[in-house]
Amino acid sequence: MNPADIHGYVMAAAASGELVVQPRMGMGEPGQMAEGLRAVAAADARTVGTITLDSYTRVGDHEGARRALLDGERLNGFPLVAHGAELTRQVVAAVRGRVPVQVRHGCADPERIFEAMVEAGLSISEGGPVSYCLPYSRTPLAEAVRAWSRASDRLVADAGARGMRPHLETFGGCLFGQLCPPSLLIAASVLEAMFFVQHGVRSVSLSYAQQTNATQDIEAVAALRHLAGELLAVDVDRHLVLYTYMGVFPRTEAGASRILDRSAEIAVRGGAERLIVKTAAEAHRIPTVAENVSALVRSARVAERDSDLPRADQVDYGTVLGEARALIEAVLERGDDIGEGLVRSFADGTLDVPYCIHEDNHGQAQGGIGEDGRLYWARTGKMPLPAASRASGRISSGQLLRMLRFTAESYDVGPGYTVAVVGSGPRGLAVLERLAVRLAERPPGGPVLLCLLDSAAVGTGRVWRTDQPVWSLMNTVAGEVTMFSGPADEGMPRAGAGPTLAQWWQRTDPEYPGPDSFAPRPTYGRYLEFALDAIEASLPERVRLRRIRSEVRGMVKSADAYTLTLAHGEQVRADRVVLATGHVPPELAGPRRRLADFAATRPNLAYLHGNSSTDMPLDAIAPGADVGVIGLGLSFYDVMVSLSIGRGGRFAGDGHGLRYLPSGREPRLIAGSRGGVPMPARGRNQKGAEHSYSPRVFTMELVSSLRSKGKLDFRSQLLPWLLAEAELVYYRTALTARFGADVAARFGRHAVEAIEQAGRPHPVLHQVAGRFGLGCLPRLDLESMARPFAGREFAGRAEFDGAVTEALREDLRQAELGNVDGPLKAALDVFRDVRGVLRAAVDFGGLTARSHEEDFLGWFCPIMSLLTVGPPRLRSRQALALMEAGLLRVIGPDARFDVDPAQGRFAVSSPRVRGAKVAVDVLVDARVPGPDLRRDRSPLISGLREAGLLTSFVNEGRFETGGVAVSESPFHPIGRDGQADTGMHVLGIPTEYTRWFTQVGSGRPGRWSEFTRDADAIAAHLVPAVRPAGADTR
Amino acid sequence: MTQSPVQRPSVLLSSVSSDSHTWNLVYLALLLEENGYAVTNLGSCVPDDLLIASARELAPAAIVISSVNGHGRIDGARVIRKIRAAPDIASLPVVIGGKLGIGAAGEEQTQDLLDAGFTLVFGDADAHELSTALAGLVGVPAQRDPGVAA
Repeated sequence: MNPADIHGYVMAAAASGELVVQPRMGMGEPGQMAEGLRAVAAADARTVGTITLDSYTRVGDHEGARRALLDGERLNGFPLVAHGAELTRQVVAAVRGRVPVQVRHGCADPERIFEAMVEAGLSISEGGPVSYCLPYSRTPLAEAVRAWSRASDRLVADAGARGMRPHLETFGGCLFGQLCPPSLLIAASVLEAMFFVQHGVRSVSLSYAQQTNATQDIEAVAALRHLAGELLAVDVDRHLVLYTYMGVFPRTEAGASRILDRSAEIAVRGGAERLIVKTAAEAHRIPTVAENVSALVRSARVAERDSDLPRADQVDYGTVLGEARALIEAVLERGDDIGEGLVRSFADGTLDVPYCIHEDNHGQAQGGIGEDGRLYWARTGKMPLPAASRASGRISSGQLLRMLRFTAESYDVGPGYTVAVVGSGPRGLAVLERLAVRLAERPPGGPVLLCLLDSAAVGTGRVWRTDQPVWSLMNTVAGEVTMFSGPADEGMPRAGAGPTLAQWWQRTDPEYPGPDSFAPRPTYGRYLEFALDAIEASLPERVRLRRIRSEVRGMVKSADAYTLTLAHGEQVRADRVVLATGHVPPELAGPRRRLADFAATRPNLAYLHGNSSTDMPLDAIAPGADVGVIGLGLSFYDVMVSLSIGRGGRFAGDGHGLRYLPSGREPRLIAGSRGGVPMPARGRNQKGAEHSYSPRVFTMELVSSLRSKGKLDFRSQLLPWLLAEAELVYYRTALTARFGADVAARFGRHAVEAIEQAGRPHPVLHQVAGRFGLGCLPRLDLESMARPFAGREFAGRAEFDGAVTEALREDLRQAELGNVDGPLKAALDVFRDVRGVLRAAVDFGGLTARSHEEDFLGWFCPIMSLLTVGPPRLRSRQALALMEAGLLRVIGPDARFDVDPAQGRFAVSSPRVRGAKVAVDVLVDARVPGPDLRRDRSPLISGLREAGLLTSFVNEGRFETGGVAVSESPFHPIGRDGQADTGMHVLGIPTEYTRWFTQVGSGRPGRWSEFTRDADAIAAHLVPAVRPAGADTR
Repeated sequence: MTQSPVQRPSVLLSSVSSDSHTWNLVYLALLLEENGYAVTNLGSCVPDDLLIASARELAPAAIVISSVNGHGRIDGARVIRKIRAAPDIASLPVVIGGKLGIGAAGEEQTQDLLDAGFTLVFGDADAHELSTALAGLVGVPAQRDPGVAA
């Protein structure tokens, strides 16, 4: 290869897979300069030599340079003009023609430099009319453009006359070195290259300087190559050059080495052919020759090895490409002359460099560093870019300093101890919140990085994301929801002390409807985002949060860490991992599989399924179509609302109930379930936010004494006590209504005493109730409440419609009485209130395998979720209105959803209502399938299953549940080897069946619920692994 | 400018003739403004004559020179001698700071610059001392202004 032709030299290296490396190096004294060049040429790497000029020469003060040399002052570069062609030629001879030598100068008017350079036999330089004017000089831009036009013409002519090939590298990819978002760097680099080409330079290189985020840099380099390909003529030789970070440099040797290594990886992964390095001494002084050579060799070695960064063909660079193209096109539209276009574009602010105080720069643009470490436009001024998404006011000196030092500090400290929380729904946030509290109490001695990952939206997760329609509601009243583990105080909202959802909602929404209302899901999503911001703001020094919106595709465990691979190719190394991945519907099986397969081969049919109505393509359902809906639970109501309000209809109050005003775009719903009646509503909330319930007979003491004796039988050992607890409340509530609180309290004492004496709750409880005159009150019968039509046959649709309507109306009457004053709803609320006790009894294999499978999961749980979870009362009223409007029909008990191969349609029917059979083309499955590790389709979870890191919980060696097997608190997964992996935690829905009722999406104000206790237990386990402050021996 | 210059002592902020860096100037301008000064930022590569002419025109309460390219020692010494030799501005407080020489900063360099005529000389990590020192030199500004648009 011919070193005089830098392009050929670089491309030959690239062809053999080598990254060309080059220093920034310039000495005033010729002997030292020659020594430096000799060492660079001899280094064990493919190098380009550099002669960097001094500041006097840069500003054209060659006399000043001569004077300084005579005075024996040390110059900060090589005064090429002052030394003259002959001396320079002797200096360059040191490389013996083995490597190309480039002159770097920083000059707004380089004609004299180019002239002297060519005389000395050099034809390779760099710069640009914008990049060497705005940052480095007082020269008006128009003058710099004229000067660079002359200089480029001169270089081409002089070099050509001497048989040399001129090469210019743009400096536009650097500009001020930091805080300029990549799109403008790319645009400046491409425009300067086009400017050089317009002046006859046929060999160019386009620069880009490493910024704050490696993946963003790779996107930028990819976009730079893309645009160079688009805008430079094919016969123009070009390559890409990356600059190691040009902003405030890390001060520690380790930090400097890390950033240098990263730049080499970015160059390789992004596809740049040449790298201009920096050294470990950078932050402190001008580096020595040895330091420069060491940096060159080091980066060459890094370039040879593998990297965890994504390749250019793996990143999505569409956004930065679009922005850069918009900027370039705006300049090109100003005429054929690029130089003229640049001048006019800066004059009217079409191009505007952030933080540039040059008189010809508009100075309205501002760059910032986001949570994710990426540069973004905080202000775009008049540039043809999308408006800044994160508006920013006047920046303070402190903020500026933090941003200027951001990169140096993050490399100096390194990532530190890293905790990855996978899933940023309420469970993940709760762990983060408790972790923040505990870290603040015990500040770490070293850096700690908290990575919060979510494939849908960081801070809300998929279920609570903020872009959902407002008519999708939560199922817990706002006053009973909080994301903070302690109440708000006078201080700033922070981890450990913040407002409840109701308090926050009241503050942020003038139409706040009160603490007993159900918030829209997107409102809760915004509250979660607020909570995450507050948690982050309260992180102690040295603890950083990184929010990563990407799917985790896989995780590998090594001796000392976990490596998470993200969908965009990045890898995250973590010391500890918390999996709070929530609900991922498992692969379809059984009857669902049959329905899906049937629809798959028939284009006119659709079987819609998923675990959230907002994720199903309900919009595709045609107006007027008959739609079968499988299930009458919470998801049924969501589907019902999506296909009514979501279609533009409205519900209007008419004094008694609701009337539906259709839009005409609604389909007709034919819904059904085993019980045949839509899920009953929650009782009107009469309990304050701080309400807590103390069980009388179904107590923790009872459960721990029972469990100490061995595995339990649910029906015979637990259910009677659980039922008695609810019955106590049922009877007391009825007595309060009839005779007042005193009598009710007396009943309570008598009943509990009688039960204690008898050693079992039944039949003494009913006997005491009889003595208080409640003998004729219907018994609390869960089964008949859940299956009100059991054993009944209906002569036809009209009869059944009447029965369903009456059942819903009666339920609404009960719900209206309230969850304190209404005996039925108050009693059902008890099942919610004693969930903790029941968990203590059944979790982690508390039941025998048979009882677990048949009694508990097979019988009790479906009834419980039907009777106690309940939608807001509004939903029942809406269902009644839709039935009246003829847009909703409940088909009947024991509803069947079959395929009808003869007709090629689905059939919805009930064997218990005569003539109840409807053919439909669309089936919406509104049942939420439970998790099943064995059939989990997500790459992460299925990968962990294959690797044996996650296993399904098997009770007594024969009942395989499909729930992730975890240890007791703090919930480490049990691997295939039977051992708990103490570096990991699994929380929430994936552990259902090992634990019970994990689908809780919020903490409660007041005394901690298990939601908060579980999160805290994990945080408590994570914190001791963090080296505390004071343990630092330095 | 909405603030009366009477209430806000003015500072002339500048680099030296051969220094092209500006981040230091952008930062110092914000810092000084937040501390209640009215700042005129001359920018980078300021020729000696421009600095002197601006000082005459604006009659600032003080001149702050910041340089980080390693030539501040040479260029700073030269320009301060010119200022001290100009009778109408000779008595102005003039401070200099930053990375003023090639290699590690030393006592000798500081003494040279003080001898040449600077009122105070700062290292490159002393920006916050600058405000305190300026307050002593020109009187404490009427009010601290954390972020009112200038």
